Amino acid sequence: MKSSLNMASILINAIKRLHLSPQIRLCSLNSAAVTTTTANKTINILKKEWEFPPLYTKPREVWIENLDTVEEKKLGLIELHPMVYAAPPRIDIIHSNVIWQRKYRWVSWAHTKTRAEVRGGGKKPWPQKGLGRARHGSIRSPLFRGGGVAHGPRSGKSHFFMLPFHLRLHGLTTTLSAKLAQDDLHIVKDLELPTDESQYLVDLIENRNWGPAVLIIDDTDYAPRNITAATDNLLHVNIMPVYGLNVYSMLKHDTLVLTQAAAEKIEEKLLYHLHSDNRERMKKFKIDQV
Amino acid sequence: MGSRQITEKSLSMLRSLPRITLANIRDNPGSKITQKRGRGQHGGDKHGAGNKGSGQRQNYMRLGYETGNNPFYLRIPHENYYRGHHLKREYPPMTLLELQKLIDRNRVDISKPIDIASLIKSGLYTLNPDQKHFGVNLTDDGADIFAAKINIEVQWASEQVIAAIEKNGGVITTAYYDPHSLFILKNPQRFFETGQAIPRRMIPPPDAIEFYTSAATRGYLADPEKISQERLKLSQKYGYTLPNLESDPQYDMLTDRKDPRQIFFGLQPGWVINLKDECILKPKDEELLQFYSM
Amino acid sequence: MATVLRTHSAFARLLVGKNGRILNNSLDLGAKLLPESQLALSSKHYSSYGKSPFVRKIKEQYNYEIEKNPPEWEYVKRLLPFTTIPKIIPKDSYPSGWVPPKEEALNHPYFLSRTKNAELPIYLKITYRGMRKISIIRKIEGDIWLLNDEIKQYLKQKNKRYVETRVHEVARLIETKGDYVNDLREWALSKGF
Repeated sequence: MKSSLNMASILINAIKRLHLSPQIRLCSLNSAAVTTTTANKTINILKKEWEFPPLYTKPREVWIENLDTVEEKKLGLIELHPMVYAAPPRIDIIHSNVIWQRKYRWVSWAHTKTRAEVRGGGKKPWPQKGLGRARHGSIRSPLFRGGGVAHGPRSGKSHFFMLPFHLRLHGLTTTLSAKLAQDDLHIVKDLELPTDESQYLVDLIENRNWGPAVLIIDDTDYAPRNITAATDNLLHVNIMPVYGLNVYSMLKHDTLVLTQAAAEKIEEKLLYHLHSDNRERMKKFKIDQV
Repeated sequence: MGSRQITEKSLSMLRSLPRITLANIRDNPGSKITQKRGRGQHGGDKHGAGNKGSGQRQNYMRLGYETGNNPFYLRIPHENYYRGHHLKREYPPMTLLELQKLIDRNRVDISKPIDIASLIKSGLYTLNPDQKHFGVNLTDDGADIFAAKINIEVQWASEQVIAAIEKNGGVITTAYYDPHSLFILKNPQRFFETGQAIPRRMIPPPDAIEFYTSAATRGYLADPEKISQERLKLSQKYGYTLPNLESDPQYDMLTDRKDPRQIFFGLQPGWVINLKDECILKPKDEELLQFYSM
Repeated sequence: MATVLRTHSAFARLLVGKNGRILNNSLDLGAKLLPESQLALSSKHYSSYGKSPFVRKIKEQYNYEIEKNPPEWEYVKRLLPFTTIPKIIPKDSYPSGWVPPKEEALNHPYFLSRTKNAELPIYLKITYRGMRKISIIRKIEGDIWLLNDEIKQYLKQKNKRYVETRVHEVARLIETKGDYVNDLREWALSKGF
């Protein structure tokens, strides 16, 4: 692993020495210097000029893959910002996000009847005194079999709460970073498939050793026709727009597939929030706020 | 990847660990403290609340009530100093050092005139007009280090502050804003989104007119002739040579002032700002023009 | 926004006159109030509710012009809030005493990143009514244990006493027992952070 990393750093340095235009660099690399790859292979590396460039941690370089063949083809490399895609993995923040996502939409409908709601029990069962029995006022008191329940669950109980803004923000960066570190995040050029057969997608997932459950994220609201049709019958392969990205779904699916545009949009949005004044968003959440 | 680089190390550790799923995440150990029943000798006691009464039931007496005694807040004779305290105008302070910090960190643009809107926009000064805050009081902390040429409009300033700003070739004005105008200045975007016309600024209340018409305090209603006299006077008092405004390359910026009825620089009362279509609705009706020019 | 509504009511009062009635929640606040349209607003008494006229929608509008791309738009843009916190343009001197981070800070095996307000992430936490003071260094990257050793050494040398520290690897922070904020800031600035 260490040797491969060294190799990667040699590769990066070689690219950096080329001094090409900052926006999009297309650099052809003679792989004679790199022993493992085949001769005269070209790699497209997408370098970016961020408004807030990373200082200490180096940007992550991720392969851009294709979807139009079952076999994986590497179309190039993309640089991703380490504040979003290489954040420290905080399992506790992921956990709090998952708990929040489970709870904020949960309304508990568990319900029990109180002594007033159970049928009957209006009459005093026996006189207060003189029988040698314990005093009771109703046969539906919580002490009786078949009586009401004291402090039981009452239906329509909301478990809604709002997680603090920065926990939600770092939940996304942490999960994306953890997914990338575990090789569960893949970036594809686009979502164009040659067929609309589900089997094609199943083969592709099998061939590339992606986990069975795959979450595909695109930056548009409408995915291309073929992939929509192919995933329609596959319950474990789902498509989502960028604004639907959330921690729970990322963890529920084994593999996260982002289109290149989606990856950049996520990066842009999260970097914006990481570098702006969020005091309005950090205020206490009110349900009736406009 | 150094083994002691914490972020890189933890990310590389994740590579060889099982996939993070919904089933194997947990909170940090010890982060949740569950309430436990007390045990031992005093476990079932009163839990520190004492026996019976308001202590146990936590219905404490109202603040200042002394169980029937003449309470402290009524026992003390009236302090005249506090007469009408609920009517007094407050000016939350900002020091010259803080202003210099904003300038150094590009939070305010000194190539444009600075007013209360740009100070609040910097995000490092807060104002609550509903709590009787009537604007910024620029104080003289850091007057000796202050080194920026600015055109600033504040609501209150002392002589030292005026001297510190004019020494650097700047211009200071003290101007009054009524609470309605301050609400609008605090968040202009929200006001523009309501689609209402920019109102007029009100004239100062009677007890503030003296301050805002005085040339010594650089009031916005003072005679400009007198202000230039006062500028010279102050420079002689504090012993600095007054930079010449007329020969300054930034003369236009430094002499930019608001109209006494104006709230924003460059925007007239009566205009409606449409942020969505980026256009301005200007009234042409004689009746409205007359109303807003009053 | 209560004040805004009040400014409006002041405006309406001027047009309606002393005795005219101002409708609450009127959608036609910007509409012109002509004598015939004021009919609906005046406080006239009718014999019954059924005989009173409907409040008509007031049609007359004030005359105004719409100016697209006006030269004054520059003044509007100046008032809109910052999208992100503005970047600091390098200057010759900073009279306020703020020190910019230096290039050589990247050469250490550890790194302290500035906050988004470009301040050092060193804080003092006072608890137990001022009885416990803890200085916290946050946003540490790189070798946190080496940084811990170095600040421990530095504080010991400077204050001539052992200083207790605690490293939180997960949250990437170091807590120092006692108020050493100024010393730590001095140390961080000397390293160029």
